[in-house]
Amino acid sequence: MSQADLAAKLGLKYYTFVSQVENGFSRVPTELLGAWADQLGLEQRAFARHLLMYYEPELHRLLFGAESKSK
Amino acid sequence: MSVVAFERRQDAAVWTETELDAIFAALHAAIAPATGRTWETGVTESGDVQFYLLGPRPEEACQLCVSRIGGQYILEDGSGRLLFEHRNLDLVALHAKAAVSSTPWLMVRTVMPWFAIRNTIQEKFEPILVEGEELLVQVAPQLAAFA
Repeated sequence: MSQADLAAKLGLKYYTFVSQVENGFSRVPTELLGAWADQLGLEQRAFARHLLMYYEPELHRLLFGAESKSK
Repeated sequence: MSVVAFERRQDAAVWTETELDAIFAALHAAIAPATGRTWETGVTESGDVQFYLLGPRPEEACQLCVSRIGGQYILEDGSGRLLFEHRNLDLVALHAKAAVSSTPWLMVRTVMPWFAIRNTIQEKFEPILVEGEELLVQVAPQLAAFA
C-alpha cells in the first residue's frame, strides 16, 4: 500500500503526514492508532504494541518484558 | 476524501536554495542553538520534499513539517494537523514562524492580507507596469523633442 493510498483511507487531504511517520520523524497519534491499524489490515493491539516498542522501548520492556520481541 | 494528487517536476526531489533560504529566514529564531531544536529534510516515497523542524533531544519530535507537492506548500504540525497550504512559500513560512514562536496569531492575520495583496501585485501587475515603463522610456525622448 502506498503512502497516498493509506492517507486516502485515513481521510487525509495530503499524504505528507504518512511520510513524516514512515521517515521516523513523527509518531502515529495515540487516538489514531486504531484507525491506522484497521486501514493497514493489522490487529489493533498488536499494532499498538509494536509501535510502543519503537516509541517507548523502556515502557514496552517493563510491560511486556522479553516475550515482546518474539511477537 | 481523496488525497490530492499533483504532477511532479523532475527537480521535485530537492529543495532549492531559495526555498531553504525562505524557510530559514522565517525560522531562524526557532532553530537558534539555544532552543535545542534542529531540522532535517527528507522525501516522501513519491519523491516530494519535506522539511522537518525537530524538537530538542532526546525525542527530537517533529514539531512542524513543510512539504512541497507539485508547487503547493503544505504546513503540518507533528501530529499531522494541516496548518496552512499555499503556493507562496513566504506565506507558508510566515505561518510556520507563527506556529513555533510567540508571534500572536492576530499579528499574522493582520500581516497576511498585506502579504497576499503584495504577492498578487507582484505576480499580476508588475509585468504590466514594467511594460508601461519600457514604453515610457521609448516615448519620452520623442515627447521631450516636442516640448
